[in-house]
Amino acid sequence: MLIGIDVGGTFTDGVLFNDGEIVTSVKKPTEEGNLKNSLLQVLDELMVKDDAANIKRIVLSTTLVTNLLATGRGEKTALVLLPGYGLPHDSYDITEDIYFLKGAVDFRGREIERPDNKEIDLLLDWIKSSGSNRIAVAAKFSNRNNVHEKLIKNRILEECDGVHVSISSEISAKLNFPRRAATTYYTAMTISPWNRFVDEIEAALNDRGIEAEVQVLKADGGTIPLQASRSKPCETVFSGPAASTMGGLALTLDDLNSVVVDVGGTTTDLSLIIAGEPLYASRGAVIDKKLTHVNSFAVSSIPLGGDSVITTKGVQPYRIGPAACFGGEKPTVTDAFNIHLNLNLGDVSKSEISMEEIAAHKKMDMGQLCSQIVADVTKRLFSAIKEMFLQWENEPAYKVWEVINQRKFTPDRVIGIGAAAPAMIPALAELMQVEYFIHTYSPVANALGASVVRPTLTVVLHADTQSKKYTLDPGGKTGELEKPKSYQLNHAKDMALQHLLTVGQELGMEDYTADCEFFLEEQFNMIRGWDRVGKLFEVGIQVAPGFIKEFKGVKI
Amino acid sequence: MKPTGILFFPAFDWAISPTHPEREERLLYTRDQIFEEGIMDLPQIKEYKPGLASLKDIARVHFCVPDVEAQITEAHLVSAGSALVMADAVMKAEVKNGFAIIRPPGHHAMTVAHGNRGFCNINNEAIMVEYLRQKYGLKRIAIVDTDVHHGDGTQEIFYHDPDVLFISFHQDGRTLYPGSGFTEEAGGPLAYGTTINIPLLPRTTDTGIHYVLDHLVMPILDEFKPDIIVNSAGQDNHYSDPLANMAFSAQGYARLNETLAPDIAVLEGGYSVESALPYINMGIIMAMAGIDYSNLKEPDYNPSRLKEPGGNMERIYKIVDTQLKTFRNREEVIEKNRRSGELFKSSREHIFYDTDYINEDQRNELRLCPECGGFRVIISTAQHPNGKRYHIACVQLPIFACKSCQEQARDAYKTFNNSTYDMVYLQDRVKDQYKSIITRTGEERVL
Repeated sequence: MLIGIDVGGTFTDGVLFNDGEIVTSVKKPTEEGNLKNSLLQVLDELMVKDDAANIKRIVLSTTLVTNLLATGRGEKTALVLLPGYGLPHDSYDITEDIYFLKGAVDFRGREIERPDNKEIDLLLDWIKSSGSNRIAVAAKFSNRNNVHEKLIKNRILEECDGVHVSISSEISAKLNFPRRAATTYYTAMTISPWNRFVDEIEAALNDRGIEAEVQVLKADGGTIPLQASRSKPCETVFSGPAASTMGGLALTLDDLNSVVVDVGGTTTDLSLIIAGEPLYASRGAVIDKKLTHVNSFAVSSIPLGGDSVITTKGVQPYRIGPAACFGGEKPTVTDAFNIHLNLNLGDVSKSEISMEEIAAHKKMDMGQLCSQIVADVTKRLFSAIKEMFLQWENEPAYKVWEVINQRKFTPDRVIGIGAAAPAMIPALAELMQVEYFIHTYSPVANALGASVVRPTLTVVLHADTQSKKYTLDPGGKTGELEKPKSYQLNHAKDMALQHLLTVGQELGMEDYTADCEFFLEEQFNMIRGWDRVGKLFEVGIQVAPGFIKEFKGVKI
Repeated sequence: MKPTGILFFPAFDWAISPTHPEREERLLYTRDQIFEEGIMDLPQIKEYKPGLASLKDIARVHFCVPDVEAQITEAHLVSAGSALVMADAVMKAEVKNGFAIIRPPGHHAMTVAHGNRGFCNINNEAIMVEYLRQKYGLKRIAIVDTDVHHGDGTQEIFYHDPDVLFISFHQDGRTLYPGSGFTEEAGGPLAYGTTINIPLLPRTTDTGIHYVLDHLVMPILDEFKPDIIVNSAGQDNHYSDPLANMAFSAQGYARLNETLAPDIAVLEGGYSVESALPYINMGIIMAMAGIDYSNLKEPDYNPSRLKEPGGNMERIYKIVDTQLKTFRNREEVIEKNRRSGELFKSSREHIFYDTDYINEDQRNELRLCPECGGFRVIISTAQHPNGKRYHIACVQLPIFACKSCQEQARDAYKTFNNSTYDMVYLQDRVKDQYKSIITRTGEERVL
């Protein structure tokens, strides 16, 4: 038995899944102030159908970290930056109070300016006097050489009691210092609330006698063990849309180009599956309007859902309750679709009654009014979808072959997810002139997706045979190359693979590491004068998003 | 405020040869620097995707021998095409200005293209200028070539065009490739004074270059009133460049672009791949986007080591005086040339293609038209590396040519069709039509 639970903004969905079928599913309104309660309530209802001992794996997706950051309830954290030379300091607007220190390394990891010890002393005095106990430190090019970040971390740990320090080179090795700094800052802010949550969940599972493996869903559509997530809370943001996308993929399991449309109560999330693979946001997840290095699916969220209320002024971007046909008080987008397309959802007469008042006010025939609303809504969704294609097609390219082989996205299909999908998706597909796919499991496809996705892991190696140094992500491991003169691409690939296997073992995902693939293989000759003085390699290998071994698709 | 457009196309899979300065590694550290700075994420910046130039875009400027396909690789189409993407973004006012950080470069490529010279096959800026004229109806364009090498290709292409102001400052041709760019090269008889060369002595610093900019380039631009200003943005005036000997800094380049305020900048040379390019490119981007660049410097920057050579400033004052006069006397000189009584002005050129080792002999005939800049006939002979010798006739009709030049040029092309030349070309920019004919077979191609 597998369990997937997605704690969303409005609802918490859960499924108990076994052998290609959903044994039971639960949908509950989310208690905003107590996500843990919502989660456990759903879990308990699912467990009614089964014994704790039969549960093999539980995957949780939660908005906890997203909410903490969106509402500014993360822990107070001081951000220390070593930006060296380049952009002016006032271009770093991650937070208001930033402590700037001297010290710089360049793109090859060479130290070009030493940190100033007196400045560090002042920083330590400030930490002690201000009582800050969470510090995030980020230095430009620390992904190539983290000596300054480590120095500052060590000085703080040595001299300030009870202070926790996060450094950016351990969070991400990707280029882009402001994103790395923001990711480190958000990680530091949420690490202790997230750990409290993990503690509570562990205790609750313990109380229930559940010994199943517990995983947390990440924004990249893969999972990470609950334990391992303790140091990486930011990875869990935006896991809800990832759950839906993976749910869409789980229900179809083919290599078509699909648009996954998750119609919620008040919002609709769009994501793209290109030739069977979900599309990533090329610039990383956006948290609190800041770009980060959190690997995330490209999701476009539109303030328009099945329960969006209709007034005389048109479709409103908020929800009051369910659609009139399902017992709600106000007419909604679902009601308009229900009437116009004869969908026979719930009590159709209630849809009609709710709409009559608006039709009368607008002096319109009911049919006309509903047809207009349906046309407006589908047009808005289609134009948002087209905008997504266009963005993907217009991604920058840095190689000749990428430009020559211009990419073009032609959708084959719309996959409808969410309870309101049956109302809206057919009309949207008709406008787009593609087929649509809606499954019995569509309303809980998010939780289903969560229950069957496998862990993901991405490893990147940067090696410089002239300086004889390498760095490995994740973890910010650095070291000396043993035989730099004879070091070639295959050696770099081998090192990256070994790191993937090691980290994979630490994460308990040995079952999946064999399924890894290289996604980045860069090598550059370094020529000085007319001679080659070394080579630079950047190699990336990953276990991409996918499904656990026992999942072979849904039966019905 | 509108953002600044950036198109970064490092062509990480293209090189002239593995150890050539124009190799994959050239913009690698620039990539590292601008990506690590996160500059593409700033609201002041909008990043663009590269595009492809069409064969017609290239034929609008060049007589490629025997045809366009023979003179380019896909990388050239992307590089030139990317300059056009940036030009479109500026013209559609999506951005306030734009910087195409692209390779391969182009400013040594001349009208007739037999091969690669000075790392260039086709001229990105010239292709962009003629595209802007065709597509957006621009007329007056200024190109300021800030590469350390004389932009001899761009100069040659616009030498007879009175509506393109070409200004190049560079290391003195007696000390550096391509060995041209002296003050006497001031434009053809009907376009005199719109080619302005400023040869500078080796070791010239920020001080000297900024004097030229403030006291010569900017006043001339003010008087010329171009529709658009293009910076042919080489980065090899830098003190660390391995192929040249100047002493310009990243701060100097940033200030240059702040003062010049080009609408479009297009990367040309610059081969100090680690010590200069990452910082100069950052500086240009920041200056064009209006971002404070005072915190930018090279790791080894030491202004006390960069001093103007003795007597250099005095020499610069003189050049500035001379060239201001050249520019301001231009109409007078052109009138005199027009009234010379000659119908055509002939000249002979010898052009050496250093990269491909080709020697080209050219005879140029310019019609001394009483009304416009005149049309041009070029007879060119060169042996290509494959052993084949080409003897070709090219007729070039500028976009603003008068009726009589149009008729004469088109007639000339017809006359040449029955001749002994291997290839005959007509570049009819008025009709935006580019013809070439293989005389042996009579096969004509129209782009």
